[in-house]
Amino acid sequence: MTKGILIYAHNNRSVDYALMSIVAGGLAKKQLQVPASLVTDQSTIDWMHESKIYDKAQEVFENIIIVPRPPANNYRRLHDGVDHSTVTFMNGNRYSAWKQTPYDRTLMIDADFFIFSKTLGEYWDVDNDILIGESINDIYDNNRLGYCDRYISEVGTKLYWATTVMFTKNSYTKLFFDLVQIILDNYQYFADTYRFDSKQYRNDVAFSIAKHILDGFENIDTLSLPPVLTLLDKDILHDVDQDKLTVLVSHKLDANFCAATLKNTDIHIMNKQSIVRNISKLMELV
Amino acid sequence: MQEQLQQALDFANYKQTFSIQKKVLKEKNAAKLTFGFQGGLFHINQTLLTFVEILILKGRTTAVVLLDSNQNPILIPNLEEFRDEIFSRYFEATNEYFEADQSLKKSRSVEKLLAQ
Repeated sequence: MTKGILIYAHNNRSVDYALMSIVAGGLAKKQLQVPASLVTDQSTIDWMHESKIYDKAQEVFENIIIVPRPPANNYRRLHDGVDHSTVTFMNGNRYSAWKQTPYDRTLMIDADFFIFSKTLGEYWDVDNDILIGESINDIYDNNRLGYCDRYISEVGTKLYWATTVMFTKNSYTKLFFDLVQIILDNYQYFADTYRFDSKQYRNDVAFSIAKHILDGFENIDTLSLPPVLTLLDKDILHDVDQDKLTVLVSHKLDANFCAATLKNTDIHIMNKQSIVRNISKLMELV
Repeated sequence: MQEQLQQALDFANYKQTFSIQKKVLKEKNAAKLTFGFQGGLFHINQTLLTFVEILILKGRTTAVVLLDSNQNPILIPNLEEFRDEIFSRYFEATNEYFEADQSLKKSRSVEKLLAQ
């Protein structure tokens, strides 16, 4: 059975996801000792050539799979500490992972999820067709999270975090990913049914609903990938020194920060601008 | 008064950093104690270690079925090899945790905590 990492990266005008995906892919390869593939679009590839990172991408990824650029009709507010901006967000093609992956068993991760440990490697041979990140785990304290970080809405089902998804390519998981596409195509209908805010398409929500439906419309406590340790976007990745990350964490999500360090721990860094500011040091780790 | 207040605020800052470092250490230890085997996933803890040792003492060493952390039955072909692996992982993880925890406790300033 072939195993590998799959990462999606579609750049927008504000965030260089391709650059981040090289770091994410390189770290994942290094820690988990499996190949990695990138799913991207021609416009992002053109930018990679222009910014001279394409060679590095070819070094990290065994396959660079070009797909049509997803529609840029999704917006989100991205924080960088206390600053913020509203950016387009092209995340509406994750359902194609089943078709695009060259591997029998795939670990699909977000471009801002950096693997610094071998933990996820323990899940390759687990006898579950699909495993999704169980929850978000705030680096500071889960009290900073809201109800809608744990459930898809005030009255909805449990929210899984599609930052990390591991799946085996088989007929069941095809059904799962087809269902994710149906949820994407009929997002308003599912928003009305599950009572969540449809303004922004979220893979976490679509994957959670697909799981809920295929579990027989039940919240079944099945095995999941470990909670995704997360540095929120109002926190800041301050520095990278070898494999030690220094982060600034705002306990009240305001302008008052305390510092902390991370080492040998997988981390989801939501503050993308702070990743880009430290990209050259992160690249050294790859 | 002002100086005392500043000291309290400095300590609060230290304590916040300490709490995050401690939380990350706990997470790291828990992750290291996760063991995928034969399609199952085991969280290595004292209960698992003791149970496995008792089974071996009772002479049950081959083709033993254990329930993994998700309550799925997993066939363990050689329980002694399994025992050796989980003991090894347990002590490696907890010793590392102990060392890191000791260093953390001895660090009495934010700067020293960050230097860990």
